[in-house]
Amino acid sequence: MADFIKKPVVPLPDLQPEPQIPADQLYFTEEEKQKIARFKEQYLEPAGAVMKTLWLAQEKFGFLPPEVLQLVADELGIPYAQVYGVATFYTQYYKEKKGKYVLDVCTCFSCQVCGGYDILHYLEEKLGIHKGETTPDGLFTLQEVECLGACGSAPVLQVSNGPYVHNLTPEKVDQLLENLKQGKLPPFVSLTLPQDEAELGGNRRSDAEAVESYRTPPVAHHTR
Amino acid sequence: MAVNGVQSKAGDWRNYKRVLLPPIRDLHRLEVYEAHGGYQTLREVLTSDRWDPKAVIEEVKKSKLRGRGGAGFPTGLKWSFMPPVDDRPRFLCCNGDESEPGTFKDRQLMEFNPHQIFEGILIACYAMSVRTCYLYVRGEFARWIEHMEHELEKLYARGYVGQNIMGTDFSADIVIHKGAGAYICGEESSLMESIEGKRAYPRIKPPFPAQRGLWGYPTTINNVETLANVPLILRNGGEWFASIGAPNHPGPVLYGISGHVNRPGVYEYPTGMLITDLIYEVAGGIRGGKKLKAVIPGGSSTPPLRADMIDGVTMDAESLREAGSMMGTAGLLVLDEDTDMVSWLRRVTHFYAHESCGQCTPCREGTGWLENIVTRIDEGEGRLRDLDLLLDLCDQMEGRTVCALADAAAWPVRYTILRFREEFEAKCKPSLIPTGIDVAPTATE
Repeated sequence: MADFIKKPVVPLPDLQPEPQIPADQLYFTEEEKQKIARFKEQYLEPAGAVMKTLWLAQEKFGFLPPEVLQLVADELGIPYAQVYGVATFYTQYYKEKKGKYVLDVCTCFSCQVCGGYDILHYLEEKLGIHKGETTPDGLFTLQEVECLGACGSAPVLQVSNGPYVHNLTPEKVDQLLENLKQGKLPPFVSLTLPQDEAELGGNRRSDAEAVESYRTPPVAHHTR
Repeated sequence: MAVNGVQSKAGDWRNYKRVLLPPIRDLHRLEVYEAHGGYQTLREVLTSDRWDPKAVIEEVKKSKLRGRGGAGFPTGLKWSFMPPVDDRPRFLCCNGDESEPGTFKDRQLMEFNPHQIFEGILIACYAMSVRTCYLYVRGEFARWIEHMEHELEKLYARGYVGQNIMGTDFSADIVIHKGAGAYICGEESSLMESIEGKRAYPRIKPPFPAQRGLWGYPTTINNVETLANVPLILRNGGEWFASIGAPNHPGPVLYGISGHVNRPGVYEYPTGMLITDLIYEVAGGIRGGKKLKAVIPGGSSTPPLRADMIDGVTMDAESLREAGSMMGTAGLLVLDEDTDMVSWLRRVTHFYAHESCGQCTPCREGTGWLENIVTRIDEGEGRLRDLDLLLDLCDQMEGRTVCALADAAAWPVRYTILRFREEFEAKCKPSLIPTGIDVAPTATE
């Protein structure tokens, strides 16, 4: 047989991968099992609960290696292939181990023209890694993501699929990294609506931890 | 500002009173929403003899409400496509996937006025005799999902959702479904696949969701903002709604203005606003006193308009179609004179290449090639014939796939090249010198 037939063009996935979660930790607690049972009730077929169960598993284990996918498949009574298919389709499910904090910097076009790439490159330099990589201390993973749906307060980043940080500037990025190193996640920020400024002084939600206006810092240079 | 004598179809928009995001503090809380007349409309619809499901649909039809998710399909008509009630389950999906770049309006509704969405959902469920509604929210909005789930629990406790709502024999459940970061899930059939727990590949239509939707049962899919308009229509009447803004595309709209403007943000105004009004008066003009170069009127997939094309154009389906674009999601991106359109387009094509689900070959391969070729031009290695190659590629993609993502990817490329061709040609210049000719540096260099 010719050599090129033996060698696959793309590397094939390891069929017997080394488990990354120790076997004694690989289970759902009773409480989690009850949650999953409630998820199943919300859908006509148990397969509908796969996305919610994957979110639950990702919160518990941090990421979704094959053995966790198998656990989810067993819990829902659906084929492993379907769980694998769903987990690999969506970008927010982590298939490999990430840093403690994942910084998703939006560079889609509204952020691009307002300096999203400047923020991304600033972070790359600051953390000493390229996008898609994790710092050696395992603290930060830097990623470039598609539109986060906060174009009015561009540039924006999201921390670990959770809070948004709006209207980014290099100073704000420094502050964010300092806080994260101390384990402080950014608060939920409520953005003022420009039309509210006359009537409500901008602040419409009194229970939001922080209020910020839509005004964005100066435009990036790279678009010139 | 009347440009060339054209009046805004939005009428006296400066004195417009907001109804989707009214200026009420803490409106997102159930107590506050109820204190301002919330859930009164639902109560009336459920208890009054005047409102049987047919009458609700008729009222929505009379309002001429058109979907706010991008396609602009008449909502009342969509609801009337649901087959007669039988013993099969029926579903409603509320689409809060909001992933179109340049669109950020639904998040504001979820943050400041979620109960109006819930009330709209319940009225829609009543009108179509639906027992279960899935509210699909993109996974990035994790914090907003937490807030809405908190409010939804309060609604269950009050008996406004669940079994025998408000003591009537009408029951409906709302399930919030959290996505996980896929643009394609905003497409209605792939949204249903996602809820069913599969890879979100769009389905071939027909059959339409009203015939075969979730798990093969009748389903209707509406945008979050569309459903938030429904309580207003029933409270104030269809005629009132139809009298707001542009006659053929009426109602309040959340305009999301982003890019190079002084005051970006979400603004609520009637449809039919002049684009010039929105940029220069509402959003405070172009940042840094620069000149306008282009406007993208409704999210990334709508064709960009050059600065000289927007005079007298209003934000409604008809006017924008005449101008050569679309209403889309009413998320305006404003670009100033210094923007590099090639580099901008490169990022747009990257978005579609990343978000193509990979089901149909013209889209999976086409979006990748669009990105490769535009990148080549942007890096200064393009040839002039690449422009024709791109247009040819657009021809090969449009209308040849299961869903509209391929069209959405091809339109911005086609129209950016047609409308900003000189910029593309300028970037191709370095390679204009024919190969085979020895270009020796001249003595002066």
